Amino acid sequence: MNARAVAAWSACCLFIVLSTTNPVYKVLVLAAALSALAAGAGIRRIRGLLIAVLLVSAFAIALNFVSAHLGTTVLFELPAQIPALGGPYTLEALVFGASGGVTISAAILAAAPFSLLLDSHEVMDALPAALSRTGVAIASSLNLVPAVATSFVEVTEAQRLRGWRPRGPRSWIDVVVPVVLTSVEGSIQLAESMEARGFGSGARTAMASHALGRSDWLLVAASGLALVAFAVSRAAGWAADWYPYPTLTFPAMDPRPIAACLLLFAPVLVWRSRR
Amino acid sequence: MAIATLTDLTYWYPGAAKPALKDVRLAIENGLTVVAGRSGGGKSTLLRTFNGLVPHFHGGRIAGGAEVMGLDVIATPTRTMAREVGFVFQDPELQTVYTVVDREVAFGLENAGLPRREIAGRVDEALHAAGVADLAGRSVRTLSGGERQRVALASALAVRPRLVVLDEPTSQLDPAGAEMVLAAATSLVDQGRSVIISEHRLDHLLRRAAGLVLVDGGIVETADPADWRPPAPPARPERSAALGGEAWSLRNVSAGFAGQLVLDGVDLSGRSGEIVALSGPNGGGKTTLLRLIAGGLAPLSGSVSRRPGRIAYLPQNPTVLLHRPTVRAEVSFTLDRSGELEQPETILKELGLLSMADRYPRDLSSGERQRAALAAVLPGTPGLVLLDEPTRGIDSNARGALVSLVARLRDRGASVVLATHDEDLRNALADRVIHVGGGRVAEMAFAVPT
Repeated sequence: MNARAVAAWSACCLFIVLSTTNPVYKVLVLAAALSALAAGAGIRRIRGLLIAVLLVSAFAIALNFVSAHLGTTVLFELPAQIPALGGPYTLEALVFGASGGVTISAAILAAAPFSLLLDSHEVMDALPAALSRTGVAIASSLNLVPAVATSFVEVTEAQRLRGWRPRGPRSWIDVVVPVVLTSVEGSIQLAESMEARGFGSGARTAMASHALGRSDWLLVAASGLALVAFAVSRAAGWAADWYPYPTLTFPAMDPRPIAACLLLFAPVLVWRSRR
Repeated sequence: MAIATLTDLTYWYPGAAKPALKDVRLAIENGLTVVAGRSGGGKSTLLRTFNGLVPHFHGGRIAGGAEVMGLDVIATPTRTMAREVGFVFQDPELQTVYTVVDREVAFGLENAGLPRREIAGRVDEALHAAGVADLAGRSVRTLSGGERQRVALASALAVRPRLVVLDEPTSQLDPAGAEMVLAAATSLVDQGRSVIISEHRLDHLLRRAAGLVLVDGGIVETADPADWRPPAPPARPERSAALGGEAWSLRNVSAGFAGQLVLDGVDLSGRSGEIVALSGPNGGGKTTLLRLIAGGLAPLSGSVSRRPGRIAYLPQNPTVLLHRPTVRAEVSFTLDRSGELEQPETILKELGLLSMADRYPRDLSSGERQRAALAAVLPGTPGLVLLDEPTRGIDSNARGALVSLVARLRDRGASVVLATHDEDLRNALADRVIHVGGGRVAEMAFAVPT
């Protein structure tokens, strides 16, 4: 698996999902991203991510449902005197919120292969030379993330045993401050180690260059074709937008942009499981 | 011929009134040089002058001269010194950049701009020199502490430095891991490199050392390694109270994380006034066992019971606790919440921390921080004392003070459980030793030293 091929596929997914309001194409991209991750990482490994994505999507749906009092199909109504919440709650707002949730989910899942399926050095090797040092700095700092999570658990537990109890937001200072300080110190120690190993002394080289293999080329080609096909469909009016207000309608569908979206399922064929 | 020469070197950390190193005159010869001394005495600062981290990375003021491998340290940036001086830090986890062993070892070579075709050969050479050729291709996350530290050594060796500096590289390792790292470090001398190492496990090293440097209070002196003897281990304090009833117990307990069992079917208990030492390899389950006893981790099955009373728990990385503005405030934090009337000064005096009582705990050296954390969790009269590697990075004086303190708590009826690799601590305090590893616990034959 090559990071550049993954980047091409992710970029194409993001282009389609962000360039249309039509939920049919968004759902197809979401399904493609989900299938790709399942093929590459396995459902068990992405379970946590899926839960997070569901929560974010639920929030997006709820936010639109509560705040957009537009549409004609009123499900129920709260008195207008209630600040922010008062007004009609409509099916249109609910469906449009769901469409937003699909957009967010598809975008997150399309970018997820970078962290789930690739090692940080594979991503760094794919960066242009000018970005190499920045990439190393970012990747190495990401290595500290698990340590932050561990120290959060450790600090909470140890402070409890010193008599600390969570009593409102201010009490969390006794946990958050040591976790933050420990993270900062960890970053400084890592920076010291990198300095001691000559980081920043000049132009870097890389141990490996990951050439694109046949399956990577296949993925790049499928992604490129999908992008061009969808862009043409947009320009030609085949991939029509959709808007649920004032009255909910079924989104328009056309086989040409659908075919473009189906090309995004290519990773299912080429990504071997990295479980 | 001297490989490193410090001439009237004085160094102040940023904002510090007192220098961390004072008028240091030192000439390091080829071969193995051991650096010893009290924690907080300036060992790490001295080591960092050899590759220029002091003053270039840490800032502050410096006076005098330092020449290492023919380079003027004060005028040469650390990243340039890196080609002549390799450095291995204490914590293997906080010096890892990449996630795969080969790439990690190649990091310095990539920074030096070495052509790609040469890097693989140099990585292979460094892995062999550090004795970890079999780890090539492994994910760094899957390595033990000892393996990680030897990978860090290989990373330092890859750029073929003429001098390798190691700052307490075994302080976080079990005896087997420490032995591996020290053997790899001393073998470098046989390969013609110079090595400077700061260590608390001195016996093995002193036999091989060409030079010995003693650092205390920023003053640096040399001694003959053949004549110098490390401080004696702490004596075993007399017991002044009899054992009491059962204070905690685990009945058929299993525990683990993410579907993986760390402990399985554990039956264990401890009594009031008893000190139980947990022994075993890194990752064997000692910390999990302590957390179960403390109640911080719920068992997957079985039951845990403990007598009511305050629990004093020192986590494996105790400095994560420290967040108050002074060491004294850390102690008060615990005393206030437990409602005990003891003065913070009592434990500060006992652990030799009175002179640091008003200092910001995170400004202290790693050994002093460890003592500050001990003071933060151990004041008053806890009923259950759980200490995870309490002597990590502390010197013999502090270890002696800890032994006295724990013995006093025991005599007041506390039940104590120590997870430790420190054989001296175990001999000074333990009533029983439990081996924890492979998911099981087993009582080890342990003759109480007389």
